[in-house]
Amino acid sequence: MDNKGSSQKAGSLLLLLLLVSNLLLCKSVASLPICPSGAVNCQVSLRDLFDRAVILSHYIHNLSSEMFNEFDKRYAQGRGFITKAINSCHTSSLSTPEDKEQAQQVHHEVLLSMILGVLRSWNDPLYHLVTEVRGMQEAPESILSRAIEIEEQNKRLLEGMEKIVGQVHPGVKENEVYSVWSGLPSLQMADEDTRLFAFYNLLHCLRRDSHKIDSYLKLLKCRIIYDSNC
Amino acid sequence: MKENVASTVVFILLLFLNTNLLNGQSPPGKPEIFKCRSPEKETFTCWWKPGADGGLPTNYTLTYHKEGETFTHECPDYKTGGPNSCYFNKKHTSIWTIYIITVNATNQMGSSSSDPRYVDVTYIVEPDPPVNLTLELKQPEDRKPYLWIKWFPPTLVDVRSGWLTLQYEIRLKPEKAAEWETHFAGQQTQFKILSLYPGQKYLVQVHCKPDHGFWSEWSPESSIPIPNDFSMTDATVWIFVAVLSAVICLIMVWVVALKGYSMVTCILPPVPGPKIKGFDTHLLEVSPEKGKSEELLSALGCQDFPPTSDCEDLLVEFLEVDDSGDQQLLAAHSKEHPGQGVKPMHSDPDSDSGRGSCDSPSLLSEKCDEPRANPSKFHTPEGLEKAEKPETNVTQPQGPQSTSVEGKIPSLHASGSQSSTWPLLQPPGLHYSRSSYHSVADVCKLGLGTAGAASTLLDKTDTCALKPSQTIETGGEGKAAERGESESFRFKTDQDAARLLPQDKTPLTSAKPLEYVEIHKVSKDGALALLPKQNEHSGRAEKTSTPETSKEYSKVSRVMESNILVLVQNRRAQNLAPFEEPAKEAPPSLPQNPAAVDLASFPAAPSSCRLQLGGLDYLHPTGFMHPFQ
Repeated sequence: MDNKGSSQKAGSLLLLLLLVSNLLLCKSVASLPICPSGAVNCQVSLRDLFDRAVILSHYIHNLSSEMFNEFDKRYAQGRGFITKAINSCHTSSLSTPEDKEQAQQVHHEVLLSMILGVLRSWNDPLYHLVTEVRGMQEAPESILSRAIEIEEQNKRLLEGMEKIVGQVHPGVKENEVYSVWSGLPSLQMADEDTRLFAFYNLLHCLRRDSHKIDSYLKLLKCRIIYDSNC
Repeated sequence: MKENVASTVVFILLLFLNTNLLNGQSPPGKPEIFKCRSPEKETFTCWWKPGADGGLPTNYTLTYHKEGETFTHECPDYKTGGPNSCYFNKKHTSIWTIYIITVNATNQMGSSSSDPRYVDVTYIVEPDPPVNLTLELKQPEDRKPYLWIKWFPPTLVDVRSGWLTLQYEIRLKPEKAAEWETHFAGQQTQFKILSLYPGQKYLVQVHCKPDHGFWSEWSPESSIPIPNDFSMTDATVWIFVAVLSAVICLIMVWVVALKGYSMVTCILPPVPGPKIKGFDTHLLEVSPEKGKSEELLSALGCQDFPPTSDCEDLLVEFLEVDDSGDQQLLAAHSKEHPGQGVKPMHSDPDSDSGRGSCDSPSLLSEKCDEPRANPSKFHTPEGLEKAEKPETNVTQPQGPQSTSVEGKIPSLHASGSQSSTWPLLQPPGLHYSRSSYHSVADVCKLGLGTAGAASTLLDKTDTCALKPSQTIETGGEGKAAERGESESFRFKTDQDAARLLPQDKTPLTSAKPLEYVEIHKVSKDGALALLPKQNEHSGRAEKTSTPETSKEYSKVSRVMESNILVLVQNRRAQNLAPFEEPAKEAPPSLPQNPAAVDLASFPAAPSSCRLQLGGLDYLHPTGFMHPFQ
């Protein structure tokens, strides 16, 4: 008799446990509709993808802007770096729209690929930026932490963009176009002035390109999701 | 000639210069571009500040060139932005491009250029304030009234296409107030205010900020009067209720904190700890063979000599008084808790302390067998008596004596409730009621007990060594003394065995047999040989026969605190039983009886057995040294 009662108790307890865990799992699943990578018929909505992408791009630009301002204030005062940082970004070879009208005239698929091109062009420079900032004497923690964060978020944004492209233009074989960055030797120069200018230039270009990506994405989001009626 | 011409030319030039200087004309000062701004990230305007104009009309031109281009342009529009400005329309504006702009000031005398300004439209966005700020008071029936604020984004900003994303902030205040109340509204173009003071006029403003730009200016103020009947929420009632409950909670917490301990003890009374000090039996097994007194003593639970108060419980010997009519003072049966017909003398109501090892031989009782028909007198040979205590009448009839003793005992105990433990090492006022006892051991015990003597033969196996057999009131009180209960024990010195006999003739024949150590003899070196009493009824007359097999205590091992003898148990017969006594207690209270062996000298003469009886009585060594030596 005792055995039966205890087994019944155990069974009911197990059932209760299963129920609770199911509830918890269901709840957690519902809040994060992430498609596992490789899933074919993923049902994450385009709206969510764009929302997430815009959040990421906005965040990346904020970080870049802060990082540039910090560097400018700390290392570049009175050196006249801005006069030399003209037409020095490696992504200028990618022809991207230069104002709103041009951006609105570009088809969203083209615009998406442009965004991807810019994002891919920054993979390598960001990686080296982190390494070189770490190696700087008195590496400022604020700059280093932001560089690390930007590198991380850039990867995530790239993944998100690829998902969006997969949904907006499924099956399109895209040729990966991006600019090659060749500024590493300048970052490693022994001459302090040259090296500092190389950092300044890199951060300046990063700030600009992150703003560009953010603007394009917000245009695309309003255009695709809200039908130009944000 | 030539010199004249040269000097003339120089003179004229100087004159010309001077003339110009006197006129105050000079080339223009250097202008400065102080602000460039884009209201919607599609156009931008730059303003400059002219320098000194040099007194002549100065012409300003703005030139620029863009990043990635080589040729220089001039400002397309000097008018739209006002004086000293240049407006770049959409056609001339490129985002994500650096403009290098310079302003030139020219006048008759010369020209000057400003420093080039590097402008990127991306980072100079500052929109216009929002427009059409409307205020509306809404008072729905089933809900709280509120102020509904609405506005529109600035006209130039293109929010629909997502080119710019604006965030808004409103602020309001009553007209007379000094501080603004600011609220962040996010990207929505309306806001509801719930907390308003009735009867006042409110002013409201709003401004906006693009996603990566600067805050705009505040919009013009809009005002709205709040009518007097604008009913506030019934929050006051809820506030009152909340405050009241908070106060009540605080009071309760305070009461609990104050009384918490008593409540807790009421609910969960503390568990009483054990009172009996136990024996470490395995030590007992070991010690006899090795004859180590320390182990013995520790086995008996007393950790140190003289026994501290911890040991007192163990060592308490209770005077047991049989008030059932039996005139005899009964000693506890050996190894039994004195119980039958005996008043437990322990003051400690919840303990049976002190009985453990030995059946509590009471000083007043005697084990059985020795019917002392003649109440031998205990007398200190040299009159070691408590001087301050009146000499008891030894000739009292037994009955009354016993009763008196009995009576005294209770009173003794009663008064000495706190002194139930025998090793109360207090001096004066130690006394114990007369009791008849048969052996020195008794006396010793008695004395020890009375004096709080630390004589601790705590050997459990030893049938009652010198254990205080009564609860002796410690010296401090001396109440019994005051009651005249001080007894003096007189030793019968003429016996072979020094027996401490009570003065009175209390027949103790019927007393329960006590076990105690009796002084067997005094050896040459002055050691007392004490024998444990083997059996209850053993005739004590012949002590010599007993000792062989009994446990004996050898000589005094040491003296502690100059008044305590530490006795060492000795397997060999004819050894003096060691015992301790708190010698020190007695001396202060004792008169310096020349005949008495003062305790101070005791350490010097350890051979003398000093028993403090009643704190003032001594077993004078000479008393029994004589017969043995």
